[in-house]
Amino acid sequence: MTAGNSGYVPGLEGIVASQTAISMVDGQNGRLVYQGYVIADLAEQMSFEEVAFLLWEGRLPTRAELDALSLELAGHRALTQAANIALDALPSDTDPMDVLRSVVSVQGVEHRLARPTVPLAIHATASFPTILAMFYRRQLGLEPIQSRSDLGHAANYLYMMNGKESSPDIVQALNTYLVLLADHGMNASTFTARVIASTESDLTSALVGAIGALKGPAHGGAPSAVIEQLEVIGAAPDAETHMRDMRKRKDKFMGFGHRVYRVYDPRAKILKEMCRRMNPKFYALATRVEEIALRILHEEHPERPQSTNVEFYSAGVLQAIGLPKEYFTPTFAAARVAGWSAHVLEQAAHNRIIRPQSEYIGPEPRKPIPLAERA
Amino acid sequence: MAEFSPGLEGVVAAETAVSEVDGEGGRLIYRGGYLIEDIVPVATYEETAYLLWHGELPTEKELAALRQQMAAARGLNRSARGTLGSMESATDPMDVLRTVVSAQGATRSLTKPSLDEAVALTAVFPTIVGAIARRRQGQEPVEPRVDLGHAANLLWMMEAKEPDPAKVHLVDTYLVLLADHGLNASTFAARVVASTGSDLTSCVVGAIAALKGPAHGGATLAARNMLDKIGSADNAERWLTDAHARKERFSGFGHRVYRTYDPRAKILREMAKTAAPELYKTAARTEEVALRILHEAHPDRPNATNVDFWASVVLTGAGVPKELFTTLFATSRVAGWTAHVLESMSDLRLIRPASRWIGPQPGKKPAQLAKR
Repeated sequence: MTAGNSGYVPGLEGIVASQTAISMVDGQNGRLVYQGYVIADLAEQMSFEEVAFLLWEGRLPTRAELDALSLELAGHRALTQAANIALDALPSDTDPMDVLRSVVSVQGVEHRLARPTVPLAIHATASFPTILAMFYRRQLGLEPIQSRSDLGHAANYLYMMNGKESSPDIVQALNTYLVLLADHGMNASTFTARVIASTESDLTSALVGAIGALKGPAHGGAPSAVIEQLEVIGAAPDAETHMRDMRKRKDKFMGFGHRVYRVYDPRAKILKEMCRRMNPKFYALATRVEEIALRILHEEHPERPQSTNVEFYSAGVLQAIGLPKEYFTPTFAAARVAGWSAHVLEQAAHNRIIRPQSEYIGPEPRKPIPLAERA
Repeated sequence: MAEFSPGLEGVVAAETAVSEVDGEGGRLIYRGGYLIEDIVPVATYEETAYLLWHGELPTEKELAALRQQMAAARGLNRSARGTLGSMESATDPMDVLRTVVSAQGATRSLTKPSLDEAVALTAVFPTIVGAIARRRQGQEPVEPRVDLGHAANLLWMMEAKEPDPAKVHLVDTYLVLLADHGLNASTFAARVVASTGSDLTSCVVGAIAALKGPAHGGATLAARNMLDKIGSADNAERWLTDAHARKERFSGFGHRVYRTYDPRAKILREMAKTAAPELYKTAARTEEVALRILHEAHPDRPNATNVDFWASVVLTGAGVPKELFTTLFATSRVAGWTAHVLESMSDLRLIRPASRWIGPQPGKKPAQLAKR
């Protein structure tokens, strides 16, 4: 953290921008907490729907509440007519994150400004898998698949992508992934959503902004890069030599380092174990690369905590689930929309416009020269 | 842990040379060190955009090149046309703008923000806003014209008739005045999105989304709606007194940063006299009464008229339907948004603040579903 005379803190590192009861990232102890529950207690026991309810309402649902939520989600999976037309207007080689940003924007248009509500959060969350699955199938030249109201959120997403039901193991794995990624403190996309909500804008606007932020490689846009890098390292005659050469070229190791965690990311721990069970080929290479990467990074910066982040093993899990790598970041969005919308609701309930200061580093005031006299 | 400053008030979140809001002195400084009141008489919107992007006003040759580049970039691509046509004509104009900009900028693979993209994005806003205006009137959108400047083309596309030079001047000056304003919420949203390494369209879409809020860009419409309710100068005293008693906020007054009269409001106020003489009378009386009531209620607070108040009168004079006010604001501010994103590229660092936990003590065990 470096602060100049003005108190400028690059990246707002360590600056408290919000109070929240939705999730806490305890970087020192490697804990992620949703509404008081440690992530390890939720990840493999709760459905994504239960966790979304938890984030929105602050408590786990009863059976009746969960049934009502499942019904509401299933009833709002279809795209509006406008969204269908817009989705078809985009070329089939468009980046799926750009598709998601545009179609979520159309799906949420209103004639007049609407305040963020839980039902609107449910409707938006329900639509993400449909948008992704419909576009994916269009890319492949396949007919879209109607959603199935008897399937849960994760199972229906895979069904709409593949046109057939996935095995319970695969559905469970996607569900766990969605739970693990559903929220994560004041990350850049969530913060974007809160900045937008702080102007009293609508939920769709906040979500569209958040998708735009998640797209960046420094945030959600890198899990596919993990696979690409592992493929290259795996093909090299000697992984360690290749990786040391990479560092000489100042290439980044994908899937390492985090602003907040000082110890192993608890989500990465769970995903790593899932990779071991579900994706042994990936696991064998990834654990070897992880070991070498952590060693090299530690040699370079012994003072820095260098831990594997959530993206590294996410890649192996999503690959095992059978999702194409272009859909890794969009699937991250399909999880995080629960957290984004929960934060928007919280921001709207205790709002103050987020309008920081800037430090002017330009020239002192002077007079402009009229056009004809400019050299 | 660090102090929590609600709304990040007073927290310095960026260093910038694009613009400076000197709230104490009531000064707005654009890139290069020019005061807003000095820029207005000498620069068109295109020159102002060039200044924000490059740090210096263009020469005649540079300006000609920019105008040509912008004129060539006014068309909507197939995705944007299809998306525009998908939405009902009564859709909130800011929702249409957010969506069509997103579609226009949809690409196959991630691209780094560039100046050319900034120019193209800025050039296309009047086309979208014009199409929104035409569709709201039940008319077909018209094609952009390459022989017109930015403000004139905007009016042409909204009205499909030869634009009146006096109105072009009003719109152009409005666009110059609103082109940048320090680290306001939409610009900050753009910079947060940019900080992840995302593309320029994503930054601008996020900024449009933030500008839509009534506490930000939506305030110009709110100011006009209040003036409509007041109706006439004679009614100002009674209406404002009643509204104050109902604890209703006066639209168009107050700002986080200015402690004195907003220099943009001062210029717009002067323009409003001739731009919309009738509405000016109502507005001038409203301002007088509102400032008096606010000062009596909060003698400690600086309660100055903000830019939205007088912008609503000037845009009315330019013939802009009030439902489109926020999209006009966006059409101006896109130059500033893109300038800020491009500036941040030189030292990109993820903007990821902290939060303070106010939820339950961590570690409670979740109950099984059947036992809840």
